[in-house]
Amino acid sequence: MASKRAQLPANQLCNAFLSTPQPAQRRLIRGMATEAPLPNANATLAQAYADAHLTSTLAIPPVATPSSTAHTTPRAQNPFLSTASCTTHTFPTLEPATFVHYPSTHLLLPLRKDLLHRAVIYEGDATRQGTASTKWRSEVHGSNRKIRPQKGTGSARLGDKKSPMLKGGGVAFGPKPRDFSTKLPKKIYDLAWRTALSYRYKKGELILLDTEAELLGVHPHSAQRYLKDLLRQNRMGHADGRTLFVTLERREGLFSALEGEGMGRDARALDVLDVDVKDLLELGRVVVEKSALDFLLEEHEDDLGPQQRLGPWERVMEAQQGVFSSSSSSSSAGQEAAAAMLA
Amino acid sequence: MPPRLQLLSRASAAVTTHSHQTLAPFLYPCLQQHRNASILSELSDNKGAYNKRIRVGRGPSSGYGKTSGRGHKGQKQHGKVPAGFNGGQTPDWIVNGVRGEKQHFTTEMSPINLNKIQYWINAGRLDPTQPITLKELASSRCIHGVARDGVKLLSRGSEELTTPINIIVSRASASAIAAVEKAGGTVTTRYYTDFAVKKIRAGQMDPIHSLQSRIIMAEDSVEGAEIAADALVEERKRFRFRLPDPTSRKDLEYYRDEGHRGYLSHLVREGHGPSLFFRTPGTGSRSGKKGASRGGAKKGGAAESNRLW
Repeated sequence: MASKRAQLPANQLCNAFLSTPQPAQRRLIRGMATEAPLPNANATLAQAYADAHLTSTLAIPPVATPSSTAHTTPRAQNPFLSTASCTTHTFPTLEPATFVHYPSTHLLLPLRKDLLHRAVIYEGDATRQGTASTKWRSEVHGSNRKIRPQKGTGSARLGDKKSPMLKGGGVAFGPKPRDFSTKLPKKIYDLAWRTALSYRYKKGELILLDTEAELLGVHPHSAQRYLKDLLRQNRMGHADGRTLFVTLERREGLFSALEGEGMGRDARALDVLDVDVKDLLELGRVVVEKSALDFLLEEHEDDLGPQQRLGPWERVMEAQQGVFSSSSSSSSAGQEAAAAMLA
Repeated sequence: MPPRLQLLSRASAAVTTHSHQTLAPFLYPCLQQHRNASILSELSDNKGAYNKRIRVGRGPSSGYGKTSGRGHKGQKQHGKVPAGFNGGQTPDWIVNGVRGEKQHFTTEMSPINLNKIQYWINAGRLDPTQPITLKELASSRCIHGVARDGVKLLSRGSEELTTPINIIVSRASASAIAAVEKAGGTVTTRYYTDFAVKKIRAGQMDPIHSLQSRIIMAEDSVEGAEIAADALVEERKRFRFRLPDPTSRKDLEYYRDEGHRGYLSHLVREGHGPSLFFRTPGTGSRSGKKGASRGGAKKGGAAESNRLW
């Protein structure tokens, strides 16, 4: 995305006020290698893939099933799978550190607003306290005596004084404490979760950290000021849409700094067990530790088959990388090794 | 007044056109103000997920006020009347009778047309180098689920089919067969039960080979027979369930018919039709021998080689 952004002429940057609020320069600093092509090593990788009869996209090998002899040839590889490349950064300097890869099933999902909506509503329903309570006419304190005769008085007929028609009476069908939680199939929720992460990634608003998001060497008394300055300098504070930090565990320095008065105006911090789809979509950007992102992706991949999940995919990636790094001279050796690995 | 309008339009145009400022891009942050609106404000479910909420008796503007959709007076406003009840008079469905009856033995098949198969091949969702069975069609979502008796191949968009495919379905129309073979492919129709369809989709049954589908090319000796038997036993170990063959006359005759590209057509003798009851005209022993002795025709037709006299 950053590379595409830089190709736009300057006058179009001005016009794209509504769609892309951040000018090109910011994007270049931040997500430099998010969608940029990998260095020359990738060209040889791609060539080696083509030689080994693999597609240029990193595909998942078929599961070894005891099928009949008619189907001994390998199943056609899924042409829709590709790889999402991310840059990890250091903290708090936010310098690019390494490249990491994730499958397109996790970070390149198409935007499905209906799924996101369903997930956000499901979370909202589950969050409801449901403690609104009123007294109905049977619960209001009072007697059941008929307060005036049926006939004879010129006024309307009345029963007890607890009727909702009367002042001081009960509420007519008022709220009672109840459970507002709804159900959502786990596969849909997991898909919505990864759709939210994909949306953020595609917009360049997902920033990975290779280390813990902790304020090291900062005294607790100055942590708030330090963090405010840090966010302002990196254009991650209130003026730039606020930031959500997602960490694997509670990071004492960062979390207690953000619990200070007025710090919510600039950023929020949540650990992986507390973060929701709504939180991922709410603020201007999400800064997430790589370990936390792995945890979240592994928690929410129930809708994928066993071979499409992150663990098996990473193992396949490592195997392929090992093959291509070891085979130097002949490509045929690489082919045989790749075939052996994938068989 | 044309001149004034022109001036106005020019003026308005001047206001609305984006003035291309000759400023460096890095100065844009201080010029532009923008708000960060999250996608949360644009989220909505699909239209079909929302249903109009009707609350009756809440005023005329809602369309369901006053009588609340019940009309005026009568038993239906105050209570209910059984469906189809005619007030005690003989109901219409008894006077006239209901139409037809439930047919429990119809074959229910999922239709698939050739244009969709070609589209799937072009998109890389179906592999034309492998046999296309109901399993591949269902798992690639070319058909959504499989009906109890399998898949029928039909020929809508047959001119679009250009890839040779080897397709195995429950039935195929004559024009679909012609179109597939014109493109260089093959069609085979074979028998599937509802149990078989379920197990094939679960990967617990072979989608193609059954006992009678095999043309065993073995030597005509004891060893040859043993090799063939061993091969069959090995085949059985691959899947938990065995693909069944038809038993009813109607199904047998369908799959013995070469015109349907039935998988049992290899069991039919050369020149004979698929029927199990009717002999094909011109194949009987009595044909063309009107002058010959009748007594000899009865015994001679059985075995010409070992005629006794």
